[in-house]
Amino acid sequence: MSDITLYHWEPNANSGKPMLALMEKGVPFTSHYIDMLAFDQHKPDYLAVNPQGTIPAMTHGDRVLVESTAIMEYVNDAFAGPDLMPGDAQDRWRVRWWMKFMDQWLGPSFSMIGWSVFVGPMVRKRDPEELAAAIDRIPLPERRIAWRKAINGSFGEAELAESRRRVALGIALLEAELGKRDYVGSDSYSLADINIFNSTYSLPLSQPDLAGRDKTPNIMRWLKRVYQREAVAKTWAMGRTDLAHRYSLIMEGID
Amino acid sequence: MATILYHGEPNGPSLAVLAALAESGLDTGPNAIACRAIDLLAGDRHRIAGLTETLALDFAVEGEGPVLVIDGEAMTESVFVAQYLDEVAGGALQPRDAYAHWQMLMWCRRITERCAPAAAFLGLRAQGADRLAAMSDDDFATLVAPIVSEDLKQRWHDTRTGAFPDAADTDSRAKVAGAVDMVEAQLVDGRDWLMGPLSIADFETYGWLMGMVAILPEAFADRPHTAAWLARVRARPSVQSALARSATGRPEAAWAPGPEINRWG
Ligand SMILES: N[C@@H](CCC(=O)N[C@@H](CS)C(=O)NCC(=O)O)C(=O)O
Repeated sequence: MSDITLYHWEPNANSGKPMLALMEKGVPFTSHYIDMLAFDQHKPDYLAVNPQGTIPAMTHGDRVLVESTAIMEYVNDAFAGPDLMPGDAQDRWRVRWWMKFMDQWLGPSFSMIGWSVFVGPMVRKRDPEELAAAIDRIPLPERRIAWRKAINGSFGEAELAESRRRVALGIALLEAELGKRDYVGSDSYSLADINIFNSTYSLPLSQPDLAGRDKTPNIMRWLKRVYQREAVAKTWAMGRTDLAHRYSLIMEGID
Repeated sequence: MATILYHGEPNGPSLAVLAALAESGLDTGPNAIACRAIDLLAGDRHRIAGLTETLALDFAVEGEGPVLVIDGEAMTESVFVAQYLDEVAGGALQPRDAYAHWQMLMWCRRITERCAPAAAFLGLRAQGADRLAAMSDDDFATLVAPIVSEDLKQRWHDTRTGAFPDAADTDSRAKVAGAVDMVEAQLVDGRDWLMGPLSIADFETYGWLMGMVAILPEAFADRPHTAAWLARVRARPSVQSALARSATGRPEAAWAPGPEINRWG
C-alpha cells in the first residue's frame, strides 16, 4: 500500500494539479475523493487533515502537505521519475512565474466565474437550512463569503466584469506565450503545463468566444499535445462529474 | 549580453533580491550582475529601455519590485528571482530536502500573498501617498501612462487619491501582525533563521517587515525572538551591502504600489 494519500475533488483547477503530477511521476497514491459540492472539505474527518478546509491536501507518511502548486513541487523533488522542472535556471524561473500568475491573478478570476455559473447553481437547489448550517461550518471567513455569494448568486457586477476582463487578457497572454515556446515557460513539459492545463483544458467549451481553433491556435495545439499524454487520460478517468466528461468532448472535437 | 538588476530602495522585494544577490556572489567578478538603482515611486520601472520580453514586468503579481534583465527578458517576483540567483550560483539559500523546501516555499507564499499586500498598503499610505498626491495631474498622467496592467495602474490611482478603505486597513494590520506572530512562533525553539539554515525566507520576510516596525510598533511589542532575528538579519553582510545602496538613507520608508489584496478568498 502506498504511504501517500491525496485528498482531492475532480481533476480540475487545484485538485487536478497534484493528481496529474503524481500520475506523471508514476507515484502510486491512495485517492480520497472529497465531494466539494457536498461540503466534504468542511467535515471533521477532513478538517483533521487540513484545518483550513480547502482541497487538495496530501499526506506522505506523517507529513501533511497543502497548497496545490507547492505540493507539485514537493512531488517533483521527492520522487524519482521524469523531472517536471526544466534544467535551465531561467526556464525554471519562467515556470514559477507562470504558476504564480495563474494561482494568484488569473486562477481566482476563473474560479469566481466558475462558482457563479457552475458551483452556485449546482448547490443552490438544496434545503436552505441545510445550506446555512453548512456555511457556518466553513473555517475560513473569506470562503464563507465566497460560498454565500455563490449560493445566493450575489457576486457583484463590477467584480464579475473584472474577472471577465482578466480571463480574456490571461487567455491572450497565454496564446502569445505558446507562440514563443512549445510549452508554458519553456520548451519542455513541466509543472507549469500541469498547473495551467488544469484551469484551461475546457476553455474551448467554457469560453468559446475567447478560445478555439481560429482565435487561439497556439493554445489549441498545446492543449492537444497535453491531452494526448497518458497521465492526463488516467487522471481524467478519475473524475466523477460532468467536469471530467468535458475533457473527452473537447478531445473529440479538437481536430 | 549584460545582466542588469534594476532595484528600488533596499526595502521589501528589492531588499530581498539585493541580499540574495550578495549571498550568491554573482555581484562580483568579470561577469558580475550590474545593479542599477531606480525610483519605483517615480514609475521608473515602466521606462526600462532595451527590453525584448516584458510580460513578467508588465504583469508582475508583486507590483512594483526589482527587475532582473537577462538578454532583454525582464524577470520579476522577488522570491523567484532570488531562487534563480541562488540556483545559478549553486547556492545554499534553499533547503535541499524536498519537505524542507516545501516548507520554505509555503513560508514565502504566506509572506508574499498575505503580508506583502498588507505591508505595501500600510507603508504606502504612511510614506508614499503624499508624494503622489502632491504631483500635478499632468505629471501623474505621464507617470502612469506606460503602466500596462490596468489593475496595477488602479492601485497607483487609489494611492494618489487616498483611497485606503477602512476594511483594508483593519485587514492589513491583522495580516502584518499575523506575520510577526508566525515569525515569533517559528523562532521559539532558539533557531537563528526561519527555516533553520539561512534561506530566501529570511530575506523576503525581513524585507517586508523591516519598515513595519515604525508603522505598526504594537505588532512587534513583546516579541523578543523576532527582535533578535531582525537584528541578526540586518547584521548579515549581504543585507548590510544591500542597505548601503540606499540613495535616501531611509530605505525602510520607501514604498511603491505592491501586490493587490486578495480579491477572492
Ligand atoms: N491555494 C490553494 C487553494 C485551495 C482551494 O481553495 N481549493 C478550492 C477548490 S479548487 C476549495 O477547497 N474550495 C472549497 C471551499 O473553499 O470550500 C491551493 O492551490 O491548493
